Amino acid sequence: MFESIPVEVGLVHEGERVRKQDMQVELGGPSVLEKFEIVRVRKMDEIIDGTIEITGPDISEMPEGKATPIGILVEIAGEKVEPDLEGVVERRIHEYSNYIEGFMHLNQRYDIWIRLSKKSYKKGLNSLRYIGLVMLDLFKNELPIIEKIQITFITDPREIQPLYAEALKTYEARDARARGLSDDDVSEFYGCALCQSFAPTHVCVITPQRYANCGAISWFDGRAAAGIDPKGPIYAIPKGECLDAEKGEYAGVNESAKQRSMGEVNRVWLYTAFGYPHTSCGCFEGIAFYIPEVDGFGIVLRSYRDLTVNGLAFSTMADSTAGGRQIDGFHGISLEYMRSKKFLDADGGYRRVVWMPKESKERLAEFIPADVVPAIATESDVHNIDELKNFLAEKHHPVTERWAADAAAAEDAAPQVQVFSAGDIPITTPGFRIILKNAKITAEKVIIQPIRPHTKPGGEHN
Amino acid sequence: MSRKGVSFRAKEINSDVAQIRDLSISIGAIHEERWDERMGPTPFPSLSTLRSWDHLLLNRYKPFYLPFCDLCCLCTYGKCDLTGTKRGACGITMPAQQSRMVLIAACIGAATHTSHARHLLTHVIEEFGRDCLINVGGTSVEVEAPISRLVCGVKPETLGDLEPVLDYCENQITQLLAVTHTGQEGSNLDFESKVFHAGMVDHVGMEVADIAQISALGFPKADPVSSMADLGLGTVDTTKPVILVIGHNVPPATSIIDYLRTNGILSEVEVTGICCTALDVTRYSDRAKIVGPISWQLRYIRSGVPDVVVIDEQCVRTDTILEAAKIKAPLIATNDKNCLGLPDRTNDPIDEIVSDFVSGIVPGALILDSHKVGEIAVRVALGIAPKRKKQGNLPAKEQIIAFAKKCTQCMLCRRACPNDLPVPQAIKPAAGGNLAPLNELYDDCIGCGRCESACTQKIPVHSLIVGAAEKQTREETFCLRTGRGPIQDVEIRKVGGPLVLGEIPGVVAFVGCANFPKGSREVAEMCMEFANRRYIVCTSGCAAMSAGMYKDEDGKTAYEKYSGAFEAGGIVNVGSCVSNAHISGAAIKIASIFAKRPLRGNYEEIADYVYNRVGAVGVAWGAMSQKAASIAAGFWRLGIPVVVGPHGTKYRRMLLGRADKDEDWMVYDARSGEKVYGGPVPEHLFFAAETKEEAMVMIAKLTMRPNDTSKGRANKLANYIDLHKRHIGGIPPDVHQLVRVVADIPLTMKTEILEHLHAHDWKESPIPDPTLLSRMVHTRRDER
Repeated sequence: MFESIPVEVGLVHEGERVRKQDMQVELGGPSVLEKFEIVRVRKMDEIIDGTIEITGPDISEMPEGKATPIGILVEIAGEKVEPDLEGVVERRIHEYSNYIEGFMHLNQRYDIWIRLSKKSYKKGLNSLRYIGLVMLDLFKNELPIIEKIQITFITDPREIQPLYAEALKTYEARDARARGLSDDDVSEFYGCALCQSFAPTHVCVITPQRYANCGAISWFDGRAAAGIDPKGPIYAIPKGECLDAEKGEYAGVNESAKQRSMGEVNRVWLYTAFGYPHTSCGCFEGIAFYIPEVDGFGIVLRSYRDLTVNGLAFSTMADSTAGGRQIDGFHGISLEYMRSKKFLDADGGYRRVVWMPKESKERLAEFIPADVVPAIATESDVHNIDELKNFLAEKHHPVTERWAADAAAAEDAAPQVQVFSAGDIPITTPGFRIILKNAKITAEKVIIQPIRPHTKPGGEHN
Repeated sequence: MSRKGVSFRAKEINSDVAQIRDLSISIGAIHEERWDERMGPTPFPSLSTLRSWDHLLLNRYKPFYLPFCDLCCLCTYGKCDLTGTKRGACGITMPAQQSRMVLIAACIGAATHTSHARHLLTHVIEEFGRDCLINVGGTSVEVEAPISRLVCGVKPETLGDLEPVLDYCENQITQLLAVTHTGQEGSNLDFESKVFHAGMVDHVGMEVADIAQISALGFPKADPVSSMADLGLGTVDTTKPVILVIGHNVPPATSIIDYLRTNGILSEVEVTGICCTALDVTRYSDRAKIVGPISWQLRYIRSGVPDVVVIDEQCVRTDTILEAAKIKAPLIATNDKNCLGLPDRTNDPIDEIVSDFVSGIVPGALILDSHKVGEIAVRVALGIAPKRKKQGNLPAKEQIIAFAKKCTQCMLCRRACPNDLPVPQAIKPAAGGNLAPLNELYDDCIGCGRCESACTQKIPVHSLIVGAAEKQTREETFCLRTGRGPIQDVEIRKVGGPLVLGEIPGVVAFVGCANFPKGSREVAEMCMEFANRRYIVCTSGCAAMSAGMYKDEDGKTAYEKYSGAFEAGGIVNVGSCVSNAHISGAAIKIASIFAKRPLRGNYEEIADYVYNRVGAVGVAWGAMSQKAASIAAGFWRLGIPVVVGPHGTKYRRMLLGRADKDEDWMVYDARSGEKVYGGPVPEHLFFAAETKEEAMVMIAKLTMRPNDTSKGRANKLANYIDLHKRHIGGIPPDVHQLVRVVADIPLTMKTEILEHLHAHDWKESPIPDPTLLSRMVHTRRDER
């Protein structure tokens, strides 16, 4: 491999940076307005496999130390290659080209920024053709579903212009498709067992509307990976019968979880933090945590270092969340899932979210129903549960409507609560537990009021 | 807190939880249990509790002996020659005797850290009280003491909670030392198991020491952007009075800083340090400066720059009093483990002591009160500096030439040199005025001074080398990111994704001293090489200094160039020797954070997890001391391999795996319970490399674990193969043993590796959910 390339090609060069004074040429980058890289799926007969074309001046004809416009068009075809995979394949351009010694590739799409080092240029890397050859080799080796591939580098500004405009439209259309794709639109979800190497019972289910917990794998990524290596750690899950549309329970998902977790997890409800919630390994980006006192959720991201409204820090709650278990009310999630319409849908979605760090709230504001935004408290509004209660009441947060209903239900339930049983009596208060062994207690009157109302599913249809 | 016979009555109780009237309760005993995690099977393990785990490891990694000495001289029946199959008077064999000596070394190491921890803990409890809360990282650290939780089953919350943990360590070290008595243990493997035990106890002791000082002295708390401190001879402002602190136990040094601060003269006196006290005092005040590791003791004192020398414990040259006297710098010994024959002046009036020192009446004193030391050291430095005028005893060029002319080329200095440096060959041209070859020795010299003892002409050989390198020493101006303490839980969570997705190939920790020739430079080079390759690099102790004692072409040190966060390509200085506990602690936390494995008193299960899953490797490139032996042993018991430099063979045996024996590498697949081939990973547990190049190839190989995802293994292989090609040549001969499935093959090397696999009749083998413990095999919920 790569014998014809004048410089080394390997993983070791991936993180290389080329500084300004060491660069032979810059392609794209901040000083160039129009630049792009794009992958397009074509019909088999539209591609001449292995072609590399350069339209405009090649590296050796570019002025030293200057920036040049660039467009990279990769056209692929194959029986199993579908337009939905364009984005996934496109991101590999970054990965593959960075393996080339002295070739630095940053960003993606219309934002690319490439530098070639003087050193590699002197070694003979003087043509984009070499870059194309490396990409051809790696694409075909790594993604055997690509049967035909041709690569065009465009450096002539007049030629770039129309293609650039077309690329922008394609990105836009692709994003619209990704945003619009719902779990109902597809017949397959994907599972990821990568984290099982550290958390053996964790199984991640990836759907169009539920990103992997780590935030690194979308449904499209899953589709590509499963298509390329069906026996690999990312695999297709046929949805099967939908058992509960609201909670997100599918026969196929249950079956897959049962197998992959060896019976630890037999049911999965995708859109709720209660009952049979999706498991969490350890690298989730955030936690949705239930706050029983207000019957709502707080959300905290990994980057938030202060205590949250319930007096616990991310690290403390993460400890209760992780490990591939189904934990009621502590739910590991990705940032991308927080942008999904299905986000905790069965529990009420953002209508059930009562507290978020300020920075996260601002970041996610456009995904939160406009009328709820002002009613979600942040660390600058409240510091504890009492203040939170007042804040929510004052702002008429949707959860306050549940309070009255819950109080009534709690009263009904009260007579069934066993007051004291024989043997050990655990008394739980936040932070510690007292166990009374063989203790005799006489009390004229004991009044027990539940502090944690029974949880009922939320959602608009309740 | 436990109480017996508690009864109480209450007329009325109102709380959020309950409303109670006329309640009377009497309780036999109250045991306060503040930790709701269930106790695991092995809290406070004894010498034999974890023996079966040790033997599992030792059967894979059988000791390969490299006797440093063929004799046993410990009892009066001896000396006994143990070569070949001979047995000693007590019946002992060579392997058992070698492992016995390793156990003695490991006990010394563990005792050193534990007694250091005890001294420190007693000190901070006196100062801040038993109830002073432990805080090593605020909200970012949930698991504050992973090793104490794991080994002892306790969750310490206050300084006082650390005391029973140290009681345990002291108890175990006493028992371990007893094992080495004549006629006490006959099996080499049982000796080795006890070495592991000593190592585990050592890590507990180290953890206690660092938790105590981070919490009580306000060191950086798991801070990835802790401040930078100056490092190197050239950073010392020689126009000011200079105090030199040497050793490993920081209270006297922090008292010096306190006295300077209180009196508003922190900027008027230079506080400089050598070894771990230097590292720890920069965690207390980044105004303090680090001169270097142990190799700098002679050269720095002889330079005449220090006006007062304050020593505490461990790795302090025992002739420091003589060297300090030669430059007329008073020496203050501050620790009862290191009295150096000096008069005890602890209870004398401060003014009297200061006056005696400044007037030069006494060359040194023992002062066992760190507060007093703080004041005396500063006042003496201020008083004596104008008189001493930085009087040193390094020869100028003419003197070097004159000394060199006396050389008879007898070669005894070279024979005495631990690194076989060509000293006579460098002295010869010096006699003719060419000092360049002597200067060249400077970087490689470990500053032991054995050449001088050997010289029949009384030539101060070491001083000649340092004198010839005078210009170079002035250019030693580096910096180091001060020791940050533990790794945040959140940082570990963040790297989970990149680890399984194959973006981070592993964790490499450079620890201990760097005494191998070019030690410092090579440690710095290896740190940068692995950081460039996106490994997570940790440093501690003198290796942390070494990592910073080298600049790249832009004039930047590793700490300026790379992030201090526990992430791909970060170079993470955890702190001093005792901070090593945070490196093993991070490996332990991975099990708790990702798999929610209970840590409490659950050593074996967690070690099995770390061994089979966490791709960490320790490197002690120039390890010198017995402490390094026990630190390494603590890593081994957790299943973390350690690579040492060539002098590491003097630790008397390696722990080498046999990749050629398939039967040695069987693991249980926890999913099915079947015994399957897990591959020779990690291949060795203790390995001495001859060269930096060999070490780097081995480090890359030893990060592999049987649980690696294909992406992870591909990345590890890519680095291993690439390093092998560069430094040894060609594709490594064992690649076929390390590729399990085609997806493991690094994608840029596919063609050549497939050829190699084909040539070796390679067959695909499944990736297991690996464990060495049959009890960890998964049982279905319905079968439990």
